[in-house]
Amino acid sequence: MVLLPQALVDGIMLGATYIIIAIAFSMVYGVMHVIDFAVGEWIMLGSFTGFYLTLWIKIDPLYLLPLVFIIFSTLGYFLQPVVQRVLSGHRGNPLLMALVFTFGLSMMIRGLAQTIFGFYSHSIPSYFSTRSFFIKEGSFFITISAVRLTGLIYAVVITGALNYLLKFTDFGLGVRALAMNKDAAALMGVNNRSTNKFLFGIYTGISAMTGVLIGTILSISANMGGDYTIFAFFVVVLAGMGYLAGVPAAAFVLGLIQSMFLVYLDPGFTLVAVFGLLYLILVISPTGLFRKGWG
Amino acid sequence: MNRTLRIAALAALASSFFAGAQESRDYFKVGVDLELSGDLGTDGNFAKRGYEMWANAVNEAGGILIGKKKYKVQLAYADNQSVPAQGASAAERLITQEHVDFMFGPYSSGVTIATSPVVEKYKVPMIGGPESPNVWLRKPQYTFGTIPPVNFTGAGTVDTLMALSPKPQSAVVVGLNDPFSKSVATSFKDAFEKRGVKVLKFDIVPPGQDLTPLLSVMKGMEPDIVAYGGHDEDLIKFVKSMHQINFSPKGLIMHYGITGPAFFEALKADANQIFGAAVWTETTKTSSKILWPNSEAFAKAGMKAYGVPVDYDIAGCAAGGIAFQVALQRINAAPPLDEAKREQLMKALEAVDVDTFYGHIKFATEGEFFHSNTAMKILTLQIQNGQAKVVGPPSDMEAKPQYPMVPWDKR
Repeated sequence: MVLLPQALVDGIMLGATYIIIAIAFSMVYGVMHVIDFAVGEWIMLGSFTGFYLTLWIKIDPLYLLPLVFIIFSTLGYFLQPVVQRVLSGHRGNPLLMALVFTFGLSMMIRGLAQTIFGFYSHSIPSYFSTRSFFIKEGSFFITISAVRLTGLIYAVVITGALNYLLKFTDFGLGVRALAMNKDAAALMGVNNRSTNKFLFGIYTGISAMTGVLIGTILSISANMGGDYTIFAFFVVVLAGMGYLAGVPAAAFVLGLIQSMFLVYLDPGFTLVAVFGLLYLILVISPTGLFRKGWG
Repeated sequence: MNRTLRIAALAALASSFFAGAQESRDYFKVGVDLELSGDLGTDGNFAKRGYEMWANAVNEAGGILIGKKKYKVQLAYADNQSVPAQGASAAERLITQEHVDFMFGPYSSGVTIATSPVVEKYKVPMIGGPESPNVWLRKPQYTFGTIPPVNFTGAGTVDTLMALSPKPQSAVVVGLNDPFSKSVATSFKDAFEKRGVKVLKFDIVPPGQDLTPLLSVMKGMEPDIVAYGGHDEDLIKFVKSMHQINFSPKGLIMHYGITGPAFFEALKADANQIFGAAVWTETTKTSSKILWPNSEAFAKAGMKAYGVPVDYDIAGCAAGGIAFQVALQRINAAPPLDEAKREQLMKALEAVDVDTFYGHIKFATEGEFFHSNTAMKILTLQIQNGQAKVVGPPSDMEAKPQYPMVPWDKR
């Protein structure tokens, strides 16, 4: 029982990391119906950009997040038409084509990254990554890492900003209309092409910023993307494919299961438990925890 | 029938043509089956540097002297992507399509375990850098290793810690679930228990996850020592997570791996005072008549070639090349090597007993370390002011161990 508060806090912090990995990924799937296998590679590229910018500009990487967002959202904005072309061509199964395309893209980015960045692992130094808060009350104690707390705040801000963007702006109205019915939305004057470009840009920008945060919390390498792609998939499937509002809850469920297993049960079976749950969800409720995802 | 005969004749002609092409080769073709990408890409690329340094040094010296003629060496690479099955198929391709004479093997123990049956099937000797004892338990006839297994070296590090004051009373041990890391963790646990140190927690965990919650539990146990078995990226994550929750035991051991340039570059001051093990550093006192006269000369050559310090992995891999060189000269084998010659080469490797810049090489020919090089001295290292210093055994000590370590928040 003494460890429970710490286990809960650690689970929430882990959940926050999963939110920022998965939320933009879920949004892009919900609207564009693109399962982007390269999500982990955007995170990796963002982390290396943060790493080198920190080395050159010599300011804390967390202050560089807006700059990283601008760089990668611009890249995503101009890359989206290529993805769109794969999706909208006269091909047998555009969704499958997009899947194969992004898988190929991820392999290409990873290979290029290994050539350009080399095979060393790095870490992004930050003032926040060496600070922590310690709270003790009787026999209970909690240690909260400053950089992980920053990650939680970032997750809340990003979730809030996306929520505002989608629910309270004309752009968001267009996005939601496109997610419901592309043809009807187009007839109502929603510009499919430009909306998708902006959306993909927001997604790559958020993923890259997430990479910077992960680099300050953990470590970075050209091979790191694969693990994060798996976790993004997990959260999105648990939340319900394309159901954005389910992402925070699914991410916290994942974080808390992982934390509880590591603390109270056998740490060797953490991932077995996590993926066992995913399997159960897929069997019992293929549309996610809230039964609101794409079937 | 006629058609079948014609096809058979053509096949025989083709095979004799290729065999003829092989016979005319006047250089050794050496297969290199390595983790050039994937999860263990960092360590695989280190190993590649060792093999490259050996091949370049041999070729600069004119080649390997067999009889009265010198034969150069040429490396043929295959990337096993850190995947055991890929390692096995890469070895098969190198042997059957590239017709290599002998091979340099993978860095990873898991990939080596998958690859050794293939080299055994084709009778192609292979020297690699695996460090898990599991590689040697099934006594692979054609697989050799220059770096001693971790259960051979782990106890040496624990012995150094046991001589410190205050003497460690308790420890927690974590290892990742792969053959190397698991063996590291198990060897630490066994060594602690044999020396009366209470192991409060022992966990083998899947790679790729954030271990902060587990570290929080361990922090509550207040162990004297934390011992961890993992690879470079995981070592960095582990130390950062410890610092983030301000978990400062008296000592932190990470075995092999702390000497890689990435470790200190990524962790900076946090890397200081972490203990590790090695069988070679650039200051190890050695003397050799083959290629490099001593450790210092090899370290200088490595720095010149790659611009970063070389570690035991690179040295061990280059020394593997010297073992082949000595064995080839012993059996007077000119390229290309047929199956009978390769079998002789394997037996000659078993008889290698040579001093190199890396240290003494002599492969065990029986027991649990079968075909692993157990002639090395085990060194305990500690990072001090950004440099790996030998802190044990006393006969090789370069600096006094710093213990207990300074807590993270006081650095």
